[in-house]
Amino acid sequence: MTIAWPHGRAAAVVITVAFEAELAILSVAPDATDRAKSLSVGTYGATRGVPRLLAELARRGTPSTWFVPSALLERYPEQVGAIRDAGHELANCGVALEDFGAVDTAVQLAMVRRAQEAFQHSLGVLPTGFRVGRGEMSPGLPAALEAEGFTWTSSLRGDDRPHFHAAPAGRLVEIPQHHQLDDGPYFAFNLDPPIPPGSPRIAPTGDVLDNWVTEFDAYHAEGLCFVLTLHPELIATPGRIGMLAQFLDHVHNRDVWLATAGEVARFWGEHGPANPPEHPVEVYHRIIGATTP
Amino acid sequence: MALAFDLDGPTGDAMLSGAIWDRPAYFSLGGYGPWRGLDRILRLLAERAVPATFFVPAWVVEHWPAQCRRIVEAGHEVGHHGYRHERYWDLSSSAQRAVIERSQEIFDRELGGTAVGFRTPSGDWRPETPDLLSAMGFSYSSSMRGDDRPYLHPSGLVEIPARSEMDDYASFAYTRNPDWPSGGSRIASYRATLDSWTREFDGYHAEGLCLTTIFHPKVIGTPGRAALLARWIDHMSAAGGVWFATCREVARWWRR
Repeated sequence: MTIAWPHGRAAAVVITVAFEAELAILSVAPDATDRAKSLSVGTYGATRGVPRLLAELARRGTPSTWFVPSALLERYPEQVGAIRDAGHELANCGVALEDFGAVDTAVQLAMVRRAQEAFQHSLGVLPTGFRVGRGEMSPGLPAALEAEGFTWTSSLRGDDRPHFHAAPAGRLVEIPQHHQLDDGPYFAFNLDPPIPPGSPRIAPTGDVLDNWVTEFDAYHAEGLCFVLTLHPELIATPGRIGMLAQFLDHVHNRDVWLATAGEVARFWGEHGPANPPEHPVEVYHRIIGATTP
Repeated sequence: MALAFDLDGPTGDAMLSGAIWDRPAYFSLGGYGPWRGLDRILRLLAERAVPATFFVPAWVVEHWPAQCRRIVEAGHEVGHHGYRHERYWDLSSSAQRAVIERSQEIFDRELGGTAVGFRTPSGDWRPETPDLLSAMGFSYSSSMRGDDRPYLHPSGLVEIPARSEMDDYASFAYTRNPDWPSGGSRIASYRATLDSWTREFDGYHAEGLCLTTIFHPKVIGTPGRAALLARWIDHMSAAGGVWFATCREVARWWRR
């Protein structure tokens, strides 16, 4: 089925940013609170990464959606203010990259609410979208988010275009993401404590550009929704930012709709078809619905 | 050249343990295979008129029957791959038999025929498994790693060995919680992986051997990787003198 994207564009592109600063380290190595070198790996994302990434996005007027743990709103007010003032979308990903897989729906929802209050208090912004920071949404969270007023999530991996959640969250739009379109699996690195745990070699920058261009060209040819995820401390080094610039030049030179996740969700909410019964979210909910009311 | 795909979907350890029922994102990553990856692969195979073999856990056939019927309708082969991707080396003979009988019934009901081919989920089996497979009517297995051409098991079962360097998991698969690869190794370069697969094929071609693949629609079936696969198949077609066949056809030929 061909998707009729806005303005007659052939495909959609959503640039998402996960601004995690020191939490990128602390969420996997919680005992690193007094390890200044390791924490500085994340700090770099706030001090150097955010300004450099904002400048690159401004260069060609690329819209983006930023997921910021609410604990960073007070820690880095200048950065988050600059993100907001540049017109980028801000979205909810919980408080401090807590592992959602370790807590139930009620606790997950409490984290989301705390973060919403912090966004309103610090920035006067009320996010409409949510991506889980670490771990997974519980099966019950989408319905709770919809009841809370959210219109979209970006936490699943079962499609290459938006889709709806299964009932009872049937109007909540999901904008799926993919590991191969995320700089984390290619570039994240700390020597000690080892992140990733097996200390794999850092991927060659040019190879990652080739992977993203190969995927993008195919998404474009098929008329899909390409969702990229960037971390300021990883993508915004002096060298990698040039790779991102090459990638964004390639994207801007194609017939695509560059939009925030919220804009794509609004479009899908108004024009997207209902999920067929074979969609993975529908299959999943039929199965768990048979065992849990 | 016996192209082969393991259509695992969300089956496997997390489903066998039940952990997947709290993990909708992990389920969705597996569901991408039958939901999106499969159609993309079927389309590029049809465009090139190349046959393939799909090893499919019967649970996937139960939950995506229309998608799996499209495999058969396109003239490809469907082989056994467990009910929920069971680890055969963990199963008694009677448990193995029960998995096979249950899966063959589902294949017969949903796909109009039973499997004659077998690929062990996760690779290993029990010492008695090849005899059991022969007794249950299978003609071949594609489970071992120790050769680059078919051979016979003592029971008479044909083996079409597959190689880890031709497994897309070794290059591209990536999950978090559970982390795979366990050490967090990188997603490989697409162009370097295509180069490796091309060199491997060229060697098999030069030596006149039999190559199969362990490709997974949820891994190789993304838009960009499917484009790589298409380029690889085009390279093989252009090489000339290649017999593209299903594993069943290779086994029949080898037996003769």
